[in-house]
Amino acid sequence: MSAPSSPGSPEAALQIVGLHKSFPVGFLGWKRRTVLRDLSLCVRRNEVLGYLGPNGSGKTTTLKILMGLLFPDRGSLSILGFPLSAVEWRHRVGFLPEHPYFYDYLTPAEYLDYVGRLFRLPAPLRRQRALELLQLVGLTRSAHTPLRRFSKGMLQRLGLAQALINDPEIVFLDEPMSGLDPIGRHLVRGIILGLKQRGKTVFFSTHILSDAETLCDRVALLRRGELLKVGRLDEILGIEVEHMEVMATGMGAEVLAGAPAGVREIRAIGERWCFETEERVLGAVVRWVEAAGGRILSVYPVRQSLEEYFFKEMAASDDAAAAWGAED
Amino acid sequence: MGRGRLGRIAAVAANTYRETVRARVFYNLLIFAVLMTLSGLLLARLSIRQQDKILKDLGLACMEWFGTAIAIFMGVGLVSKELERRSLYPLLAKPLGRDEFYLGKFLGLGTTLLVNVSVMTLGLMVTLWLTGSQPGLSLLKAAYPIYLGLLLTVSLALLLSTLSSSPIAALVTLCLVVAGRFSDVIRNMQEVAPGMPTWFVQALYWALPNFLNFDFKDAVTYGDPVPLAALGWVTGYAAVYVGVVLAAGMTLFKSRELV
Repeated sequence: MSAPSSPGSPEAALQIVGLHKSFPVGFLGWKRRTVLRDLSLCVRRNEVLGYLGPNGSGKTTTLKILMGLLFPDRGSLSILGFPLSAVEWRHRVGFLPEHPYFYDYLTPAEYLDYVGRLFRLPAPLRRQRALELLQLVGLTRSAHTPLRRFSKGMLQRLGLAQALINDPEIVFLDEPMSGLDPIGRHLVRGIILGLKQRGKTVFFSTHILSDAETLCDRVALLRRGELLKVGRLDEILGIEVEHMEVMATGMGAEVLAGAPAGVREIRAIGERWCFETEERVLGAVVRWVEAAGGRILSVYPVRQSLEEYFFKEMAASDDAAAAWGAED
Repeated sequence: MGRGRLGRIAAVAANTYRETVRARVFYNLLIFAVLMTLSGLLLARLSIRQQDKILKDLGLACMEWFGTAIAIFMGVGLVSKELERRSLYPLLAKPLGRDEFYLGKFLGLGTTLLVNVSVMTLGLMVTLWLTGSQPGLSLLKAAYPIYLGLLLTVSLALLLSTLSSSPIAALVTLCLVVAGRFSDVIRNMQEVAPGMPTWFVQALYWALPNFLNFDFKDAVTYGDPVPLAALGWVTGYAAVYVGVVLAAGMTLFKSRELV
């Protein structure tokens, strides 16, 4: 696992040490429910870090604390070397909240002009940035359409544009793919990779694991407010292949009984067959398919997915989680 | 206050003003225009002196009622709507302080009310002129305190909306405005309830906003003199009261967690 940057090191874009957050529960609010527990994390400059966890694990709470919308119970946080209470870093970051909502009486061009004014950008620069960003997120044709007519995906794209209006050094994105169609998701992935190429730091939360697999240099896994692991995805999940999947066609169902030992499962997918196979018998399976008159379409190594990893971790920690609830 | 802060406050204020314009707040001016025209026509049979008084009375009252309705119902939504819809989340992540946001919202609606009161004053002057009266600038001596009262109402609505939901905030603001118009009754409460402690009555009298201070309608309508000193005093009263209420609201808003 990669070593985290040391606290206060110049390469740290974000440093969180011992962050703890709880919320009052009940009518009187005497009891408290812990949402984040002693969370420590370092994000390096020019890194794309995926902040992963199931719903309710504390991802959005972390981001809200970082953006000053919530206040931590304890812990120290610094962004770009500045303490959280400083204003300086706010000029150099961008933020896309989860399920963003913007003023529906404005157009995208007007909204970007408004947020540009908050950064005291001169009017010509605001106009230029707005044009560029609307083009980047594919909203040029809707630049003067009132936001009340926007779909959820279009609002999400505008949310990304407003987060970039100040050309930030670090961008915080809370579920950036939420509500996007496949084209939108592809576009946002491209934007995140583009930011990385331009030397920016991206911290994004998601529970869509394929996004993390595609985009992240490192991931941080959060479970019930506790940081489970931080590191490269292959380090966390392990590189061992669990099994192979062989896709084949042109075989009749009558030959399946003769499948070699080591084929764990056979599934029919339309006209094709999918054989879940142990890695050691792959050669035998391929030869058997060919001998049976079939044709190999593809061979995939199957590794543990993040979903499976989470599922295992959750199941393993049920007792601990129950203890948490009792304690909180 | 630095230029940066002023610029951000101005940006929020300008956007708030634009919001009210697009929410068609100024449609109330059409109703006012219709009322003034109809009144001018209906009162044509009366003597010019009577007509002048009724028109001034009606016009100034409309200015106050319409303005109060806008101040309360737009005022309670200024911040609470942003909280409900979470539209302020991306803004507060930018170099925009919560106090700047709050003040900008107040000034934005204050600008809307200034435009509203100004246009209504002008409309009343035109109506008076068309019906043969001498409008005079004395109307400004009634319109200006009305505007100050409206600013106080907005500050109260804003404060209450950071404490509770919009409907409750609107109701409580309305109650405060009504109670503030009966300040004299509160001061003389001991005549009705002699058991009431004096300190309590005095505290209540001074704590509640005294909206009677802003009422120069009768004086202007009946041609009584309105000394500039009185306007100066009411300006000072409004500045202190609005300042205190805004400071309380900003303190509360800054300490509020945006869950």
